[in-house]
Amino acid sequence: MTTPVLSVQHVSVGSPQAPILDDISFHVDAGHFMGIVGPNGAGKSSLLATIVCMMPRFHGHVDILGSCLRRFNRRKVLKKVSFLTQMHHQQTHMPMLVHDLVALGLDDSYRPLWHRVKVEKKIDWALDKVGMLAHRHKDYRDLSGGQKQRTRLARMLVRQPKLLLLDEPAAGLDSQAKQGMYTLLRQLCDDEQLSIVMVEHDVAAISQHVDSVACLNKKIHYHAPATEEIPAHIWQDMYGSQMQVMSHDAHCMGCESEEES
Amino acid sequence: MWVSFFESEVMQSALFPALLTAAVASTVSVMIVAHRLAFLTVGVSHASMAGLGLALLLSWPLLPTATVFAILVALLLAPIRQGIHEDAGTGLLFAGSMALGILLISLADSQSVDVFGLMFGDILTVSEQDTDWFIINSICIFVIFIVAARTWWSLAFDATTLVAGGVSATPWRLLLHATVGMTVMLCIKLAGIILTTGLLVLPASCAWFWGRRLLSLWALSLTFALTGVMGGLMISYHYDWPSGACVVLGLCILFIISWGSSWLRNRKLRPRKHL
Repeated sequence: MTTPVLSVQHVSVGSPQAPILDDISFHVDAGHFMGIVGPNGAGKSSLLATIVCMMPRFHGHVDILGSCLRRFNRRKVLKKVSFLTQMHHQQTHMPMLVHDLVALGLDDSYRPLWHRVKVEKKIDWALDKVGMLAHRHKDYRDLSGGQKQRTRLARMLVRQPKLLLLDEPAAGLDSQAKQGMYTLLRQLCDDEQLSIVMVEHDVAAISQHVDSVACLNKKIHYHAPATEEIPAHIWQDMYGSQMQVMSHDAHCMGCESEEES
Repeated sequence: MWVSFFESEVMQSALFPALLTAAVASTVSVMIVAHRLAFLTVGVSHASMAGLGLALLLSWPLLPTATVFAILVALLLAPIRQGIHEDAGTGLLFAGSMALGILLISLADSQSVDVFGLMFGDILTVSEQDTDWFIINSICIFVIFIVAARTWWSLAFDATTLVAGGVSATPWRLLLHATVGMTVMLCIKLAGIILTTGLLVLPASCAWFWGRRLLSLWALSLTFALTGVMGGLMISYHYDWPSGACVVLGLCILFIISWGSSWLRNRKLRPRKHL
């Protein structure tokens, strides 16, 4: 059996009385696209932060490509991991060319100024992957929301990671841009054998793109291939009884226009 | 008139430290504007009053003592901001150490202190010893900047992503704060405690409208600062006006020109807010 790209074993965060995450275990193989859904405050972002060791303390183990992640070896182990944080963290007033922003994903961009950075090929490859190559000399601030998110994704891809963590990558995008983003991520899994763990709100929007879905509310209530329908009692456990699940398929009125386009 | 400017003995000794200060201030200015640390420069420059007071009371060398004190105050702000917001923390340190400074200076032999010079700058009375101190300090700041600039730039752009990638932000932030502290002390001789912020915020702000990446911003900031300081000193010499005020006003005029021409250029494009 090959080593999984990511293996999370019995991870808990917070005190036993008020847990933020409670005994989480799962693993992700190469090329696997995992979606994590759950209500606000379920610990979705905390789980991603724990995987990259940004939480002050946690119990359990996180193994990345077979190496156990600890605070002291963080930088080395995370070389093959990219974490796309939520976009609202970043409302910049700074001038930044698309090309330069992507370069920030490489270690060369942190060398002293006398060191010339020669990473054009890698940057062009990443920009090409996300369809932003034509915009490489534009100012990041002048881009649309969807283009900004694609550029940020290129920054994640340029270091050629084995594992990509995404925190609501489609938040604030319209439905077409959302689907475009998910399709792109699916392609990356298939073509580059990239493993993805993505946190999202809308299970219906992601179910046709991901391989498996995990329902998280402090603990993982359910984890199964995306083809299986999530039982109604799981939803009630997570969201309470007022929850109504809308399924999106070929017969769904709202999805018609997207299917055509 | 300009010939006598360059020939005058006062200017001959003051011009080099003034231009050196302009170069250093405009360099660090890029990071101050990027990291939104303008208020930190106000805080540290006023806090240096306590450092100067301490040096006077204990008869220690003025500028080195005050520089160490400024660095300490700038560093102190990093842990404070974990508990309360950064601007409240800066305000607190600023008032506290200014009060301490006034007290210390009043305890020292106040006859020997040129308070007006401290407040508004007195580059024209720069001594040879001061110039040596300027050079050492400037070299340190330039070396730190060249090593750290790219990381600082990325940290200002998106700290969360940088930390998620395995870099720890705190040491870089502390280094930036210490560098700001050192730069503030350099600027006080030229612009005084009150006007130092102008020297540290205006050059990069002028450049902000035009620069598209780190290096072009730096080059523009440097150009604006050298022009403003040179112009300010010439006017100050010609009309016998206070030098610090002339320099800062010169930079303000450059800012208005830069802002105005950028506004004219962008009027045809769609409206956007960059600063």
